[in-house]
Amino acid sequence: MNIIHAVGVKKKFGGLEVLKGVDLSVSQGEVVAIIGPSGSGKSTLLRCLIELERIDEGSIYVGGRPLVENGVYVKEKEIKEIRRRMGMVFQHFNLFPHMTVWQNLLLAPLSVLKMDKKEAEDRATEVLSQVGLLEKKNELPKNLSGGQKQRVAIARALMMRPDILLFDEPTSALDPELTGEVLSVMQDLARNDATMVIVTHEMEFAKNVADRIIFMNEGVIALEGTPKEIFENTTHARLAAFLARWDAKEQEEGQANIG
Amino acid sequence: MSIANISKILLMGIGNTVTVFAVTLFFAIPLGLVLSFISMSKIALFRAPVRAFVFVMRGTPLMLQLFFVCFGLPFLPYVGRYLVMDRFYAACLTFVLNYAAYFCEIFRGGLLSIDAGQYEAAKVLGLSKWQVRLKVVIPQMIKVVLPPVSNESITLVKDTALITTIGLTETLHYAKSLVNSTASVLPYGVAAVFYLLMTFVLTKLFEYLERKYAF
Ligand SMILES: Nc1ncnc2c1ncn2[C@@H]1O[C@H](COP(=O)(O)OP(=O)(O)O)[C@@H](O)[C@H]1O
Ligand SMILES: [Mg+2]
Repeated sequence: MNIIHAVGVKKKFGGLEVLKGVDLSVSQGEVVAIIGPSGSGKSTLLRCLIELERIDEGSIYVGGRPLVENGVYVKEKEIKEIRRRMGMVFQHFNLFPHMTVWQNLLLAPLSVLKMDKKEAEDRATEVLSQVGLLEKKNELPKNLSGGQKQRVAIARALMMRPDILLFDEPTSALDPELTGEVLSVMQDLARNDATMVIVTHEMEFAKNVADRIIFMNEGVIALEGTPKEIFENTTHARLAAFLARWDAKEQEEGQANIG
Repeated sequence: MSIANISKILLMGIGNTVTVFAVTLFFAIPLGLVLSFISMSKIALFRAPVRAFVFVMRGTPLMLQLFFVCFGLPFLPYVGRYLVMDRFYAACLTFVLNYAAYFCEIFRGGLLSIDAGQYEAAKVLGLSKWQVRLKVVIPQMIKVVLPPVSNESITLVKDTALITTIGLTETLHYAKSLVNSTASVLPYGVAAVFYLLMTFVLTKLFEYLERKYAF
């Protein structure tokens, strides 16, 4: 079954139409990478799925339940229940800076899910080990590197046992040498059948980890397919131009790293 | 007259000084906090009166407000006679309202300083509006507002001297009478030391709090 099913999604910011009719389905256990030039609406699409932004037209179903149908949203209470099935990881981590890693992890399970304290702590130990940061449990976020912060943010999302995880450029704010540790955590999740939608500029990662790649351009899904179909496509002009620019940038960074 | 004797007399006034100070902080901080949230409301009908209140309280002298509440209100037509208050209560009420307006502005600044990503992360995790406020927003706000709140508290210590203008006795009031009766400047010096001591304690307290909120 499709965990996410979005049809004809349109979204405007004032007069600017940012999503111009997007259809997106994500099935159980699938890893979908969304690539595309800056400003093409990738973040907006992701944010609409979890109701951080509201769409103007179209429908979104999560786990078969409507979040919004033909532009009409369900009741606030139902939105909350639906959102609870999803987790999101942000570019800038958005950890709570006044709480330790441990407190960041426990906050929502205890105060939202009313989880038993012992159960929540066991879960926290489990997810922190999973991202390799158990020894940092009593640190404040400011004492962590960017890569560690993002791994904690992933762990925090995992605490809620979401059916699907959304990532908005999880490595874009990181120094290049710190992206690997985050990507490898995500790769582990993929291997364990997590369902994920990942907006990313990490082409290698998308190629290796995604089941399907979506290329967005100017508010529409310009092309989608398997990594092979996308990266070996030579006929789609926009995609080719986008990928060429990317290759050039990689080369440049490679040069810079060597030089 | 010895410093000990001067101190003894000034101490008779310190009760009022400290009470006005403590009552003001105790009520003005929570009131200012509530007002700051209302002043950021999306609904103009809620926001506007608070903004107007803050504008008036910050835009007029505290002394005028003291006179107004203590001597002015009773002259209001119809309701005036119900508004005759004990002067000390009038003073406390005025200070609370005045400082609440300043705290409101300080807290509003604190609210504005909180990154939108914090609200988004909390929302995505399913926290309710109140949980977001209490567990995410306010603790982070405290860190930002501590220095200006400290500043405001020190100003308050000295502002308490204004209550002499409505005929209440406090530290400075006694110092002034002593200077007159003894023809010596010493009581002013002793009073200054009293205020400095209170400021010193406050400064240390806020230094401690700032260390505690250094996340
Ligand atoms: N909150 C907002 N208000 C107004 N315009 C926005 C807002 N968020 C995004 N946009 C605009 O929408 C377009 C798509 O943005 P975004 O979804 O962030 O693109 P991407 O993530 O692909 O770079 C951009 O032109 C951006 O300026
Ligand atoms: Mg984006």
